[in-house]
Amino acid sequence: MRQLIIGPEREALRRLRERVANPSLRTEDVSEVVAESIHRRREQSGDEALSAALSPTIETALRESVRKDPGTLADALFPVMGPAIRRSILETLRSFLESFNQVLDQSLSWQGLKWRVEALRTGRSFTEVALLHSLVFRVEQVFLIHKRTGLPIGQVVAPAVAMQDPSLVSGMLSAIQDFVRDSFHAEQGQGINRLQVGELEVWIEDGPYAILAAVIRGVPPRILRERMAECLEDIHREFSERLERFDGDTAPFAAVPHVLSCCLDAKFKEEPRRPRYAYAWVTGGLLFCLLGGFLGWREWQFHRWNQLASTLRAQPGFVLTSFGRGNGRFTFYGLRDPLAADPLGFVQAAQLNPARAEFHWAAYYALDDAIVQQRAASILAPPPGVTLTVKEGVLRLAGTPTAKWMSDLRARALLVPGIRGVEIPLEISPERLSFSETRDAVQNTVVKFPLASATLSVSEHNSLRELSAELKSLLESAPALHTKVRVEVVGHSDTTGAEAANQNLSQRRADRVASELIRLGIPAGALHPKGVSSAEPVRPEDSDANRQFNRSATFHISVAPGL
Amino acid sequence: MLQKKICMLGAFAVGKTSLVRRFVESIYSDVYQTTVGVKIDKKIAQTDDREVALVLWDLYGEDDFQKTRWSYLKGASGYLLVADGTRRATLDKAISLAQRAREEVGPLPFIFVMNKCDLAPDWDLEPDWEARLAALNWTTLRSSAKSGEGVEEAFLQLTRKILAGS
Repeated sequence: MRQLIIGPEREALRRLRERVANPSLRTEDVSEVVAESIHRRREQSGDEALSAALSPTIETALRESVRKDPGTLADALFPVMGPAIRRSILETLRSFLESFNQVLDQSLSWQGLKWRVEALRTGRSFTEVALLHSLVFRVEQVFLIHKRTGLPIGQVVAPAVAMQDPSLVSGMLSAIQDFVRDSFHAEQGQGINRLQVGELEVWIEDGPYAILAAVIRGVPPRILRERMAECLEDIHREFSERLERFDGDTAPFAAVPHVLSCCLDAKFKEEPRRPRYAYAWVTGGLLFCLLGGFLGWREWQFHRWNQLASTLRAQPGFVLTSFGRGNGRFTFYGLRDPLAADPLGFVQAAQLNPARAEFHWAAYYALDDAIVQQRAASILAPPPGVTLTVKEGVLRLAGTPTAKWMSDLRARALLVPGIRGVEIPLEISPERLSFSETRDAVQNTVVKFPLASATLSVSEHNSLRELSAELKSLLESAPALHTKVRVEVVGHSDTTGAEAANQNLSQRRADRVASELIRLGIPAGALHPKGVSSAEPVRPEDSDANRQFNRSATFHISVAPGL
Repeated sequence: MLQKKICMLGAFAVGKTSLVRRFVESIYSDVYQTTVGVKIDKKIAQTDDREVALVLWDLYGEDDFQKTRWSYLKGASGYLLVADGTRRATLDKAISLAQRAREEVGPLPFIFVMNKCDLAPDWDLEPDWEARLAALNWTTLRSSAKSGEGVEEAFLQLTRKILAGS
């Protein structure tokens, strides 16, 4: 019976006991509900207890994870770390640059100097002094104060402002508010809304649960008051319940500073416009232009003189060793051949002021062809109609010089500095010239005879002796001139008498002269005597004197190329 | 951080300001400063399990010329009631102040401190003063702002009491 009644319960109890006693089964049970139960727990009593319970385990787990393999956690945190680090670095750099810019701006001006002195005098930092002077107003701190307790709920502070302890400021502000309200029996909601403490002003905005207080340096605009009121309204709208229940714990008000920051405003003085800067710019610009113009002109002048120097360098007979500028003058040092052109001529040709040129030349013999040519002309003094040219040190002649001038020309020319050689064309070689002269002299010679005679007078003997010397030189120089010489001895007679007799007479006269010349040493083969009677008169027979010229013998020398 | 407003109550010249100074800055000054209205200080107190920022409102000691401004007590989480062992009247004053405080802002946690225990031989008190206060269910401590005795203890006990009540 008993078994029947409580049998199933006992069986169930046994199974339950077994289940409780068996850890693996229990684990299984718990695993089914663990997520759900954590969720429920959080809903019921908030995060704190659960977080407190879990945090040691999580901390240990994290530590263990890092100890085992730091990579896992590093990988997980990587997307968070990068931006955070970048942001932090950027922020630091930005604030550094800002302060650096400002300091540069202010420390280089007269005003900056004044501020620096003031900073030294008052013991404040330069930044502070600079800020105070360039500030119209700045909200330095904003406090949200819980009205009932006078405790601070949140605060924001402007960069680089030394923060007062919010608890003390909040306390004092609410104490003062209370004091004033008590003293003047003011209604709730009435009280101080503005305090002035030296350079600081405190603006107070009163709300049902909280007070907004802004510490301001300078003269704030009216609109700031409205902004504060709006800010306080926003806070009351968002946090009213929490404000009412506030018991000193600021954790639920973490978002308050963000709301307050809209009141952190500042305005700086605009730099006054300085018209004198415009003058300075114009004056500076003019000066700059003048200076630029002067320098440009100077440079242009120098350029022109430099070009002159280049011209001189290129001129024959000049060696420019140095060229410089000093005391407004241009100085040239170098060598100049006395025959070279006058340098002042180049100065004038370049339209430069000769008074500014200063030449220091040492004389020398230039070996330029042009100069050597001039030198040769001045030393050798060629006769008119003769030109001298010099090319690469070799003197060349052109024109018809006299044999006399030509006689020792080669030797004289080689004494001229710069002449290394002489080139004389064959037709005006001294040999040929003297050959021609001798030939002309011989051909102009007339050997006169008495009337109807072929007998030589004493004087004609003598002149034939001289002639024979000339003929000898002609004959001797002919081979060197590559010519063959044929000397015709031509006998003449006047027209008086019979033609046959005259023919005979003229032939005898020619033979007589030829034989005399042969006697004087002229080879017989070179002489060809012939009588022409009166057929080739030396002179027209218009007078006795001229008739005498036709009773004669003359010479005709023919020259033919040969050998 | 958790913040708590604490007031100092007591008769004129019982040593409230000195106690605060001792607690806040750990320096004692013999120069007595008459507190004008209120003076505010702050101290981070470490209780058993958490830190609390105590904002100490040092109220003017009530005398014949000036009354305590009860509005200062508004919003306080508790107060330290101070009397001077060398002046019997200050104890009576403390009792009446506690009564008045209850009327003004309702029941608040507080600790009573009999100050100037460094001058204990010169104390001018009825022998049963402690029994009298015990009957009122007051927590009573002895302290000396001059030697530092009992100062830290008084503030910490008050903090614990406040935290226990909240």
